Amino acid sequence: MASLRTTSRILASSRPLFRPAAFARSYATVESGSQAPAPKVKKFQIYRWNPDTPSEKPKMQTYELDLNKTGPMMLDALIRIKNEVDPTLTFRRSCREGICGSCAMNIDGVNTLACLCRIPTDTAKESRIYPLPHTYVVKDLVPDMTQFYKQYKSIKPYLQRDTKTEDGLENRQSPEERKKLDGLYECILCACCSTSCPSYWWNSEEYLGPAILLQSYRWLADSRDQKTAERKHAIDNSMSVYRCHTILNCTRTCPKGLNPARAIAEIKMMMATH
Amino acid sequence: MASLMRQSCLSALRTPLATRNVAGISQVVAFHASTRKLILPPEPQTIQGTMNDPAPIPTPHPSHGSYHWTFERLVCVGLIPLTVAPFAAGTLNPVMDAVLCSLLVLHSHVGFQASIIDYFPTRRVPKTASFMNWLLRGFTLTTAVGLYEFETNDVGVTEAIKRIWKA
Repeated sequence: MASLRTTSRILASSRPLFRPAAFARSYATVESGSQAPAPKVKKFQIYRWNPDTPSEKPKMQTYELDLNKTGPMMLDALIRIKNEVDPTLTFRRSCREGICGSCAMNIDGVNTLACLCRIPTDTAKESRIYPLPHTYVVKDLVPDMTQFYKQYKSIKPYLQRDTKTEDGLENRQSPEERKKLDGLYECILCACCSTSCPSYWWNSEEYLGPAILLQSYRWLADSRDQKTAERKHAIDNSMSVYRCHTILNCTRTCPKGLNPARAIAEIKMMMATH
Repeated sequence: MASLMRQSCLSALRTPLATRNVAGISQVVAFHASTRKLILPPEPQTIQGTMNDPAPIPTPHPSHGSYHWTFERLVCVGLIPLTVAPFAAGTLNPVMDAVLCSLLVLHSHVGFQASIIDYFPTRRVPKTASFMNWLLRGFTLTTAVGLYEFETNDVGVTEAIKRIWKA
């Protein structure tokens, strides 16, 4: 692997038209100009709790960062704190571009993805970062997602068919049928919506919550799925769907701009008119 | 909204995982910036089955699920014209009054029932839940009897509202 990389680098440098020799690849950092601008120091208050010392109360720890030397997003700030200030700070992150849903947390009172949340440039106010509300905390900003994933599994999130198609190759769909899945398939299961829902806070053991219901509707709305009746029957109880009281926190908070509340309304409509 | 969310986050109990000692006495380590305002404090986390098992779904009961919801919506929608009609028409119809009263009673019963399911879940507090449900049934019945008496022996709801409005 190392030799391959060297070769490719030699190759790359031998083609100055596409990649100039002076060009050195580096990670995204804020350029330091000739004269350093006045530092913009912002305070970040971050929720800390360590499972190794369970009797110690969770606390808010304050970090100060110069925004001129930090990337624009909250995740940049968190990574910089972890790299340069306090390596014990724990959080999940992966893709840094709003695709994986790992860095979901409560920033300044709103559930969002740290990688999609700009740092407010107002340095007079500190930013407060908590884990997702009403979750069991594993450490610092890492919530326990076990129940969430188990609930996802309970709705059977996969294509269920009894028969094969005529050609036995593909399950075809018309463009109109495919269009029904727009706004549903984009969900990355970051749990921002579910953990913003008061009803889910109260009854997360039985109520599925907006994220899982959006996924449930994604399979109910799929024209290729043949178990629609079974799916509808499975959640036809007082807890799974009908604990939704159209509070709409889910739609308000979704960092991907989806509308889980509408999906739940569609489920209720489907169940009422079957 | 943001301040509301923040407040709820602060008052939210962030119960860390290991909170019970050997004697079974709960040592809840909780972070509070404000006083406790919860009706039911959260329990230590319990995961049913293994990590790979799906979360159990309650047994399907259409009468508690879709039928219940449809009925509730129909009552809601039905109440709108029934509330407006007697005043718009300006006439007093005892049948309409009776329908309005019964729908009102049903509507409030279903509404309070939803609150009891939310705040006193049967799996957490089965005795309190059943007590609250019977209390609600008692209240609903009392209200229904009271309204019946009011309709038969007095002026009736519509006329009463009219008189209070004009008083």
